[in-house]
This record gives sequence, C-alpha cells and structure tokens, in this order.
Amino acid sequence: MPYVPNTDRDRRAMLDTIGAASVDELFADVPAELRTSGDLDVPGPLSELELLRHMRKLASANRTTDDVVSFLGGGVYDTVVPSAVRHITGLPHFYTAYTPYQAEASQGTLQSIYEFQSLIARLTGLPVANASMYDGASAAAEACVAALAVTRKRKILLSATTNPALRAVTKTYLGASGAEVVELPSRDGVTDVDVLGDALGDAAAVVVQHPNFFGLLEPVAEIGERVSESSALLVSSVDPISLALLAPPSAYGAEIAVGEGQCLGAPVAFGGPLLGFMATTRKHVRRLPGRIIGGATDDEGRRGYIMTLQTREQHIRREKATSNICTNQGLVALGATVYLSLLGKAGLRELAVQLASKARYAADALSHVRGVKLRFDGPFFREFVVELPFDAARTKCELSKIAIWPGINCGCYYDDMKNCLLVTVSERHTREDIDTLASALEAIIATGGTA
Amino acid sequence: MSTATERERGAGNGRGAGSGRGAGNGRDAAGPNERVLEPTIFELSSPGRTGHRLPPLDVPEIDLGAAFGTALREAPPELPELSEPEVVRHFTRLAEMNHHVDRAIYPLGSCTMKYNPKINEDVAALPGLAGVHPEAEGEYAQGSIALLHHLGRLLCEISGMDAVSLQPPAGASGELAGMLIVRAYHSDRGNPRSRVIVPDSAHGTNPASVALAGYEAIEIASGPDGRIDVDALRAAVDDETAAVMITNPNTLGVFETRIHEIVDVVHAAGGLVYLDGANLNASLGVVRPGDEGFDIMHFNLHKTFSAPHGGGGPGSGPVGVMAHLAQYLPYPVAARDETKAEGYEYYMDYDRPKSIGRVHAAYGNFLVAVKAYAYILTLGPAGLRRVAENAVLNANYLQKLLAPHYDLPYGGYCQHEFVLSASRQKEESGVTALDIAKRLLDYGLHAPTIYFPLIVKEALMIEPTETESRESLDRFADVMLAIARESRESPELVTGAPTTTPVGRLDEARAAKDLDVAWEND
Repeated sequence: MPYVPNTDRDRRAMLDTIGAASVDELFADVPAELRTSGDLDVPGPLSELELLRHMRKLASANRTTDDVVSFLGGGVYDTVVPSAVRHITGLPHFYTAYTPYQAEASQGTLQSIYEFQSLIARLTGLPVANASMYDGASAAAEACVAALAVTRKRKILLSATTNPALRAVTKTYLGASGAEVVELPSRDGVTDVDVLGDALGDAAAVVVQHPNFFGLLEPVAEIGERVSESSALLVSSVDPISLALLAPPSAYGAEIAVGEGQCLGAPVAFGGPLLGFMATTRKHVRRLPGRIIGGATDDEGRRGYIMTLQTREQHIRREKATSNICTNQGLVALGATVYLSLLGKAGLRELAVQLASKARYAADALSHVRGVKLRFDGPFFREFVVELPFDAARTKCELSKIAIWPGINCGCYYDDMKNCLLVTVSERHTREDIDTLASALEAIIATGGTA
Repeated sequence: MSTATERERGAGNGRGAGSGRGAGNGRDAAGPNERVLEPTIFELSSPGRTGHRLPPLDVPEIDLGAAFGTALREAPPELPELSEPEVVRHFTRLAEMNHHVDRAIYPLGSCTMKYNPKINEDVAALPGLAGVHPEAEGEYAQGSIALLHHLGRLLCEISGMDAVSLQPPAGASGELAGMLIVRAYHSDRGNPRSRVIVPDSAHGTNPASVALAGYEAIEIASGPDGRIDVDALRAAVDDETAAVMITNPNTLGVFETRIHEIVDVVHAAGGLVYLDGANLNASLGVVRPGDEGFDIMHFNLHKTFSAPHGGGGPGSGPVGVMAHLAQYLPYPVAARDETKAEGYEYYMDYDRPKSIGRVHAAYGNFLVAVKAYAYILTLGPAGLRRVAENAVLNANYLQKLLAPHYDLPYGGYCQHEFVLSASRQKEESGVTALDIAKRLLDYGLHAPTIYFPLIVKEALMIEPTETESRESLDRFADVMLAIARESRESPELVTGAPTTTPVGRLDEARAAKDLDVAWEND
C-alpha cells in the first residue's frame, strides 16, 4: 500500500497504545448489519505502470488540437500556456496546501490571490474582486443572487446573447429563489436595446456578455445608459483577454463584472477546472460571495495578507451568508496570476490584437467562400458566426473526417441557427490553418455537402 | 522530544533560505513603518519587460480604431512587466512561505488533508486528457466521457448510491445540487415543503446551501454523546420537512449509531435524508451511505479521493442519489449505450427533462475527476478499505496520546477525526485554541481546524488521515504535549506565537476596517 505508511507491526503497536484488540473494534459504533461484507466491486490495485497504460489508452480515444485543426471556443479557449505557468502551479507548496486558514503559514497563497484580485480589478476597472468562482457561468449566477439582495427586486433580465451555459446555470441557481428570469431578445446578434428599456422597471439585474456568445461587441454604452436610469444593476460578463483592448465594465456603468478566466493559462481540460471571476464597486463589497483576501499588518508592522470580511461567509454567517461558496478554484487563479504576469501589459495587448486580427482574417476568408456569409454585421473580437448553405451539424461531421473542427454548431443552442457555425480563432492558428478551413468549406459546398 | 527552541533553530518553517522574518529582500515599499517580505508583482514591474513571446502575426494586423471605434479602452490595463525569471522567482519565494502536505502533517479536521499521489498529477497532465475541448463531438471525446462514466459507477459502488453526476465543481456545489434535487422531488409530489433540518454540528455550508435552495434551515441540538438526539429530531420533523442533512461520521468524528432510526423517522414523514460526504474517508469499504439509508449525498474528490486541495481548489463535489431521484440529477450525465459500436458507446446524456438543470458551464472539474479515478484504481478494493482502517486507527492513536493533556468532550473510539477542547488551558492560563494553533506553526506543523464544530468550546478538530506515519503522529503528539506544558509553565510563549513564521499574527479587525483588497500604484 504505497500511500499508507503503517505496517502490521505499526498497527499492532498502535492498537496496544489505544488498548484495542483489533482495528475492527474501532468501528464498533458502526452497526454490524450495515457493515459492508466482502470486497467492493472495484478494479485494481494497479501499479503505476499499469495505471499509466490504462490512462494512456483512455487518452488515445480522445482527439485534441495536436490531432486536428480546431476552431472550437465559445467560452473555453485553447490558448498557448507558457511553460512557467505549469511549473509554478506544479509546486507542491501551492498545490498541496489548502485554504489559508492559518494566515501566518499561508502567505504565499494569500499574496498570490491578492495579486489575482488586483489583476482582475485592473482589467475590469472595478476596485474589488474576490478570490475566484467555479466558472464564468456560476459567477454570473452569483452576481444575480447579489443583485437580488441589493435591489430587493425579483426579476433578472438575461440577454439571449449570453453564453447558453451561463444562462442554464443562472436559471438553476435562481430556480429556488422565487425570482423571475426573463430572456432579453436579440436583434442583429446583440441585445435588443429597445426591448431592454421597456423591461427594466422592476428588474434587479441586467446580464449581458461582452463580447457576446456570437463573438460580437454588445452596445454596452447604450445598455449602460439605459440601465443607469433604473435601479437595476448591470452585470457584464467579459472575456479577460478582450479587456486589453476594450473599454472595461466600469467605463459603461457595470456594477458587477464577471467572466470566464480559463483562457488565462489553464488547459481546455474537457471544460474543467474553469475559473470564474467577479469584481464590483466598493459599495457592494459586502455582497460579494466567496473568499476575499486583504492586506494586513502584524504586531511588528510587517505587511501580510489574510482572508478578510469573513462575516459574509457561510462558516460564520451560516444560512445568512451571501453564498454557500467557500474555496473553489485557487490553483487556477494562481495560474491566471502567473499567466498575466508573464504576458504583462504589452503581451496581453499583443495577444488581443492577434486574436482580433486572425478573427478578421478568418471571417474575410470564410465569407469569400461561395454560399458562406457572415451571419451578423457588427464588430467581433475572437470569434464570429458564419451561415452555411446547409446544416452546420453535417458540415462539422464531414470536415471532422479530414481533421478539421470548424466551430460550434449554433443550432444546438438557437433553433433558428441550424446552418450557423461559431468559428473561434486562437493564437495557435496560422494563416495556413485558416486558409485550409476556407478551402475545405469551399470543397464541401461545391460537392453539395460531402468532404 | 524536541523543544520549540530547538525546532526554531532547526528545520525552520518553510521560509526561503536566508529570508528570516522581517528580512524580506531588503525592499521597503509599503511605507516607512512597514516591512515587506516579498513585494507585490506590481512593485517588481519594470517598463518594457515581458515574460512570454507569441508567434509572429502572419495575417494583416487589424486597424483597431476602424474595427472597434469608441468601444476601445482609453488606456491599457496596468499589468506588471517582468521577464520570466523574475516572475518565477517571485512566485517561488511566495511558495516558500506556505505550509503544505508534502512538507508535514496538515491535520485540518473535516478537510482530509491526505497525501496527493504524484502519479495522479502525471496522468491528469496527459495531453489526451488535458487537451480535449468540452465542445468536441462525443466520438472524439470517448476517453473523457468513458472516464466520467466509469468514475460515476465506481462512486456508486463505493457509496451504495444508484446514480452520480460529476458536474458539481466543489462540495458546496454538490450540496446545492442535492438540495435542488430535494426541491424538485417534493415539487413533483405537489409541495416543495419548506424546511430542512440540520444538526448544530454541521458544516456552515449546509445551512447556506439550504438557504440558497429556498429552504429554511432548522437547527437541532446534538445529544450529550455528540450524536443526533433522535427524540429532538422526531419532534422537529413534520410534513413540511423536505430533508435532513447529516454528516456521518459527524464533525465530532462520531458515527451516528442510530442512523437507521434517524432515516426511518425522516422517511416516515415523507422527507429525504442527505449525507454530507465530507467524512467519507472513514467509511471506504466499511459502510456504504446507500446501505445506511441515505437518499442523496455529495462526495469530495479532493478529500476522500486524494485530489490535491490546490491552496483552495479546484475540488470536485459529485452528487449521488438513489434510483428514485436519478431523473433529477444535473444534466448532462456521462452515459453508456451498449448497443453502439466501440468508439461511439459513451455519450453525454442531455435528454433529462426532470433534471434540476446545469450547475457548471461544462462537465465539472474533469481533471480532478481524473485524479480521483486514478486513485481508486491504484488502491483497488482492499486498498480502499485500508484507507478507512488506517485513517481511523491514526485518529484513535492520536486521540489516545493527546486525551490526558487536553479536554476530550466526546470520548470513546473516534472515527477519522476527533475534537479536543482547550478549555482547560484557557481556564488555567488564558491560552486559547487560537494560541495553540499559532504555536503549532512555530514547530513547523499545521494547526487543526479550530473553533469548529461550534458546539465545542475552544475546539481543536484533528484529522490526521491515513497517510501520516506513526512517527509523524508521535511527533505531532510530542509537540501538542510540549504546548500543553508551555501553556502551564510559560503561557506567553503560546499566546505570543507564532514567532518563526514569515509574519506574526495579523490584525484582522483593522484589515476589515481599512480594506485593502487590490494593489494600487503610488
């Protein structure tokens, strides 16, 4: 048993100390009729070599960007992760520690989360960020919970252009709250501002995503203006990379910014772990869920860091807490902190410029294919929607035979978009990758839908 | 036995070489009266530096003004500017200020800080597992879906549950999913009911999850033996009781011997019984929650199944249910269609009309699931049972060594953990549980969970786990005895602790008042 040091001799000696005849005796409180008789039906034990072989076999039944040219995105992005990120998150000092309950022995974790909060604050323009959330979807849901508490209203307006998973999770979270969740319709791929005006009256929050699920920039200035005339809070779900170029949520009146931070140095990992973040104004700091790290000084004037404002949290406030969330994505937040530190001010901007440039190039290349057009006219950041002459699912299926994954089938999420693909570029893509996609599309369209 | 003074001179406390307390690296950026151990990344920034290079852009560069116009940001965000070695040194210096499981015992009660096997990190990093996009078509993600499906089946076998969803990304998320399942079940029967009963020894997440699911949390007092008072429960249960949330073994480390009766009382009133699986480590291969009569439970893959805690996540909190509740599980659920050909038989099942919905943007913390799966296969059935047996043996051994020196409010054999009280020390010399926790840090060990469960005054909640050796337990006991002696003979050593950690006690009240949660450049 490689992970259990005790030998039979140790066990004997320990039982003697305890004064018990057998280990079984220690389980005397477990009623005999409930005890498991015999072994569980579980495979193993496996040696490291056997385990590795088994896991490699499972891995070989998957396909990754090493095997195919993939244009999948939609919130989870296959970015280039600098090697140093994995080396830092792989330090046992970080990954085998726990929540910093004893601040004096956890300064490394605490300071790195404080730096994470600071980075999120700088990106979003909002001064207070928490120590992370499970993912962008639950971060939006928790923002709605906070908005309901702040405004004491019972309606959430959720734009139909937000990520489908964000909407699904938000509805789950709010399902028991008694609040009404209303989807705001879109026009030309963005939130319909006119409908928004009419719906605002009794809303606690308006949730938009910018750039939205279709990759499009939302009319956030106009939305912010409309929302500011009501008592609702504007919740903006943002792509952190886009914030190197785009006006931050604070600039258009969002009082809560949330988002998915997986693209900051975490692998796609079949969608988990992801990394949610949340930032807000000073006014709403006590409504933030989860951990918040604060600077502090010790008895001799040294600077240190602690978990602060803990009276919001479940371990103190119990059923009156702002949320049930406690620790969640600490190591992923550390990875994001290292990632942003490595790219830095210029690097993040260059990445954002590259993504926008490649998306523009790809949109041009694809829309030059006969029968393919851009579904929407508005500006977009790293992804965009194309409309094909036939079913997107079939197109995907055909292209995957030649190791191209052209994007997400929008028809899975929007009934009127069966022929639409959400195409996402990454800094991994070369011009050749994009040209290959365009010519492959051209070929299958020419043959009426087969590769 | 070594004394604190010897230890202080000896192994140190995880500080960076040469960075004795207060020495830092000579920077003094936070003001004339404040000393800094490690400057923030922002203070280390120097204009023009970068730590990462992108491949050159091989398409025309976009005209930002023309593309985005007024949507552009006025000034770029002030991110730090450092080279790779500077970034690596900064975070390595921070790392050295942490206590961690690879270094020494980390006996936080109810957190199950067991050793995190290295091979699990290796398999989770396999490109074929870490590199799969969640939107990949099922036929190209067969390995990942199969793994989720297999792990779900293994968790069912281990727990006696009938079905599992791996979607909840943490224990608290699993609790929320579980409570929403309770609500969905009762709603289907015409009345969601209004109350959930939670013992006063429960984790704080329990009542918080209950509230988030729209229920009122009703607390019932534990009996004199630390167990649920079955009469009090019977009196509290009625036709508005949606569920009872139970942790078994509970947070005192005691098994609820009358669990059958408890379950019957709740079921007779039409309620459901929920297990907080935080303490499942004590039960592996010994007793299954499904056999105890629980209807719903959540697992903590980062506790029981050895996935690392990551300094606070990512965890994984799968929710398991008995057959009558399976239709309510969060969707999608990894499933297998045996009629399909190999390479196509595993799929994510979205067709679940009665589901409570999604609780995660994708399929939960997949890479954490990978580690738990690897762990279960490495252990096998006998190994799993060995885990529970040794976790319980280690806890009882430590309890026996410590019981003469601290109060033990609930005696008898414990399960995986036990709770001491420092009431004696507090009364004799004013030394509190907090002081003892801080003094442990001086000896290079981590403290237990303190002031929890709430029903024990000056609580020290100790869970050694099965991965500690007898020598490690002896060492912990020696230090606890030394601290008990210090508390009597020179309490100022304890109340003044810690003195060997990078910083001393931090002023929480002032930090909450003068809130500083983000670095601002001068």
